[in-house]
Amino acid sequence: MNHIFFVTLKLLFERKRQTIVAIIGVSIGVGAFIAMASLMNGFQKYFIEQALDLNAHVTLKIKDEPDKERILRKVYGEGVSFSIFGAKPKELKDKIIDYKFLIKKFEKDPNIIGIAPHLTGQGIVRYGTVDKSATLVGIDPTLERRASVIDKFISNKKLDVLISDRDSIIIGKLLARDLGIDEMGKKVIITTPNGITHLFKVVDFFDSGITMLDQTRIYMNLKTLQTIFNKPNEVNEIIFRVKNVYQANEIAEKIKNETGYYTESWQKAFRNFLQLFKIQNYITYMIVFAILIVSAFGIFNIIMMTVLEKKRDIAILKALGYENKDIIRIFVFHGVTIGFLGALFGCLLGYGIQEFLASVNVSVEGLVRTKGFALDRDPLYFIYGVLFAFVFSTFAAFYPSYKASKLNPIDIFRSSA
Amino acid sequence: MSIVIQLRDISKKIRDETILKNINLSISKGEFISIIGPSGSGKSSLLYILGLLDIPSSGEVYVEGEKIEFTESSKIAHFRNLKFGFVFQFHYLIAEFSLLENVMVPMVKAGISREDAKEKAALLLQKLGLGGKEKRKPFQISGGEQQRVAIARALANDPILIIADEPTGNLDSKNTAIVMDIFCKLHMEGKTVIMVTHEIELTERTERIVKMLDGKIIEDLELSKKKC
Repeated sequence: MNHIFFVTLKLLFERKRQTIVAIIGVSIGVGAFIAMASLMNGFQKYFIEQALDLNAHVTLKIKDEPDKERILRKVYGEGVSFSIFGAKPKELKDKIIDYKFLIKKFEKDPNIIGIAPHLTGQGIVRYGTVDKSATLVGIDPTLERRASVIDKFISNKKLDVLISDRDSIIIGKLLARDLGIDEMGKKVIITTPNGITHLFKVVDFFDSGITMLDQTRIYMNLKTLQTIFNKPNEVNEIIFRVKNVYQANEIAEKIKNETGYYTESWQKAFRNFLQLFKIQNYITYMIVFAILIVSAFGIFNIIMMTVLEKKRDIAILKALGYENKDIIRIFVFHGVTIGFLGALFGCLLGYGIQEFLASVNVSVEGLVRTKGFALDRDPLYFIYGVLFAFVFSTFAAFYPSYKASKLNPIDIFRSSA
Repeated sequence: MSIVIQLRDISKKIRDETILKNINLSISKGEFISIIGPSGSGKSSLLYILGLLDIPSSGEVYVEGEKIEFTESSKIAHFRNLKFGFVFQFHYLIAEFSLLENVMVPMVKAGISREDAKEKAALLLQKLGLGGKEKRKPFQISGGEQQRVAIARALANDPILIIADEPTGNLDSKNTAIVMDIFCKLHMEGKTVIMVTHEIELTERTERIVKMLDGKIIEDLELSKKKC
């Protein structure tokens, strides 16, 4: 292989301009891949982590699924098709029966590490002259801690105040901002759908980073919400924290089967987002794939041009005893070296972009809120980048190399004479 | 004297045209042979078969008594690398390589370490009057010097046979004389040299002249051995 390295490296380094252009092409492809993968996956992982920390892994709730056709089917049988127009929604059976028993029952399940009851409902919150709609969540702070990592998102860690002061609330940071509340201790009025108004004191802020939650959610004591909703001892949701988040689907199914209530795993709850991320990933990888294809064509062109320009040299190499396989190896090694150097510089470029993005102090507010970009700096992206560059450059180099090996030296000598 | 290369009943057809017809030729060790003939007589085609660069349509080729199987491409490449040295009308030096590196090319293929190849290439260039110019690129030297580098490259692996196709075809009279002197010197050192040329005066320095016409050897003249 000494002769292969000898010839290839000379050709590569003596044709600097072409080599550098090809290396830059690959570097941009690899760098872009690393940067985009860490940015996209960073955002997605951040969203999922926040959502998982804050939301239940499995939620048991009331879901009224009225079978409008049930009665008609009973009368006319299964074979008849019909459509129903103008059916009025019936009153929801908004209550989990004997929730304390259910909590006790599932507490024993080794796959479940925490269970907490919720009573949720809508309300209007008023501060001064500003009204905003809000999702009111009544919680038992002690149980809530075991079923979620709510403490992590409470700005001043005053979750326990909800126990000692039943007229206190913890309000989403963006909701507070929209209402014009910038400090704790402010009083707000909450009006429930049944017309009851109640005065609450804001004792802390809730800052999950997920815009849709921070903009709508208010936490208060379960008992208080039960009182103002006039639903004593009622809950409409039980949340479960499970040991293995990826088993949430199976556990949800099991709970559903055992209780008869509707259950929802986090995957199901965030199905739309997960689907969106999937599409986002496809788009990302398609863009990166396109970049890598373009750089592979760059390598292909450069090696093809080299082969065409070096026909005489290939002929003389063959006359000097170089075999077809040597010629293939020389030009494939040519491509692989470009791929390797491109990958190396691409990794540096990717790392540089990551560093730059990490240093950018910009408030991102969209689906999630972060200070700066949420990056996933997994070393795997570098390995994938190098692998892609290697595979693409080898494939790009192979055809021109094969063509070079098939050149007949006599044709070249005769055409030169 | 032992036979270096032997052609038995060699014919070569390209499409419908037979360019070599039943050629029989034996070349002994240490001979200095010129092959002459008009354009299209088959000189170069014969040389390419002698150098195992081309495959005959029929007939057999023996190198040092061993029959060449043209299907064994690796073995043939090995022969070309170690046993033959080629010099063409155009030098075919690799433009990106220095003179030293051009001479090293066949040596590294033969498995010689780069350090040894460098040393040997430098000696060969020195011997051919190119000492001190090792690091230059081919475009930085004259045509005559380029052809001398090509001869140095042909000698790199100490071949048994030097095959030269119109080696002076592109040179002026002064450089032609220099190149012919080198071939003579190599011949005196015991190398076998086959040279295709159309310059009759050059054949006077060889000891055997093979004349070709229409793909056939029409005359094989043994001359006295004092010329060089």
